[in-house]
Amino acid sequence: MGELDHEVDAPRGATSREWEVFCREASADPLTHVGSVSAPSADIAREQATRLFAHAAEALWLCPADETVRVQDESLALDPDSDGADATMDEQAMHDETLRGEAE
Amino acid sequence: MISVSKLLTDLDAEGDGLRYDAAEESTKAQIRDEKQRRPVVVWNVTKQCNLYCDHCYAAADTDIADGELTTAEGKALLDDLADYGAPVILFSGGEPLVRQDLEELVAYADEVGVRPVLSTNGTLITEERAASLKAAGLKYAGISVDGLPERNDDFRGMEGAFDGAVQGIQNCLDAGLKTGLRYTITERNAPDLEGVVDLLTDVGVDRFCFYHLDYGGRGTEIVDADLTPVERREAVERVCDMTREYHDRGEEIETLLVGNYADAAYLVEYAREHMGEAQARRVYEYLRVNGGDPTGERVADVDYQGNVHLTQFWQGYSLGNVRDRPFGDIWEDESNPLLGALREREDRLTGKCADCRYSDVCRGGSRLRALTVEDDLFAPDPQCYLDDDEIRGPEPFAGGDATSPAD
Ligand code: SF4
Repeated sequence: MGELDHEVDAPRGATSREWEVFCREASADPLTHVGSVSAPSADIAREQATRLFAHAAEALWLCPADETVRVQDESLALDPDSDGADATMDEQAMHDETLRGEAE
Repeated sequence: MISVSKLLTDLDAEGDGLRYDAAEESTKAQIRDEKQRRPVVVWNVTKQCNLYCDHCYAAADTDIADGELTTAEGKALLDDLADYGAPVILFSGGEPLVRQDLEELVAYADEVGVRPVLSTNGTLITEERAASLKAAGLKYAGISVDGLPERNDDFRGMEGAFDGAVQGIQNCLDAGLKTGLRYTITERNAPDLEGVVDLLTDVGVDRFCFYHLDYGGRGTEIVDADLTPVERREAVERVCDMTREYHDRGEEIETLLVGNYADAAYLVEYAREHMGEAQARRVYEYLRVNGGDPTGERVADVDYQGNVHLTQFWQGYSLGNVRDRPFGDIWEDESNPLLGALREREDRLTGKCADCRYSDVCRGGSRLRALTVEDDLFAPDPQCYLDDDEIRGPEPFAGGDATSPAD
């Protein structure tokens, strides 16, 4: 199998903390990763995940995404050499460009 | 996405390969094909935006956010999407034009065979950028305007945003880009609808997409500012009336309704009332093939950090991240019971949707709104505005009746 030498450490939460969700449909089944929910606290994360998975799950586990170490084979990475360079305008440039078409 | 203009003004007995005398089998085949179709993928290339709109589902901000996919990662994502067979990539945001590599990404999507289209607030589209986007291979720009000038600017948190958007539209049209309007209907701007269409028709726009508000992002704060069911019905009726009036005057405009599949049911009722039984049947059959609410099936979203969502509005839950595995693997993984349930939702809908005769063309509407308002994934869409007597009873035109009066 792979070397598991690539760590995916990019942030996962957009507006608040992100929580990885694992669910087991029946006690003989494996615990399966079923995505993540955004929530400011464990209690709210639990509520969110319950609303989404209660119809199918017998058990739910939640884990903060920022406490989860994700390592994988490098071949799976979107771009292993990515240095996180930002392609987005800085705030000043953005404001300077806004409505520029209007000034003509 | 429901094309009102197509259903109410173009669809005739010969149209769209659908004939109802021999329809049942071919309709079934088309529905099957439709279900197997790969999703249109919305990619929020950035969370950053130069405006601050009340209803923003992406909760966009003026600051650069952490973890944006880089140019190289974006291209790798586009490769994945091309491999998986995604037909269309909708560049969205935040405001996608704040990304200076947008043209490069658009060109790359075009090169690998995923049709690049754009959703923007228009205020950053200078002549140069319209020309460079066109040259990069962009196929369509949808520009958001949410009301006549004063109302739009108020909503968007910037004076001059309306004029800026119109200038952006003009620049796109001058560059030869197909350009349309995006209009999110709320209680505040519903009265402006016809005025905005009239104004933009003069500028040269001929495609108008009306969005119902979904309850994600900042949208949840304005659930109260949404239309009531009665107001919504009126607004949709006005879109239908307006479309036919333009058509009758010989001016062809394309009008679409997005985000609430109760509209599909309503359109059948509207056609029956105003255009007769035969047209209502054509509308119904067309919409049945169209397949109802596409969440988790024919539409997908990848956010700026690579998280995959069920729709662009459903940002609070992610299926997985494209930095961990390819998009197609995430989307096909039905070991996730939520994906499976959404794809078989007909069996799970409750309340009035469970035995609604239009559930084939609607599928219960927005699951996100049901979840947000009712706390129940399979409750009826709170935005449904159909009357009880319209949704009760046997399936309309059931059984593929061989003697359509149209033939
Ligand atoms: S009752 Fe449910 S399925 Fe029927 S039109 Fe309303 S939302 Fe759609």
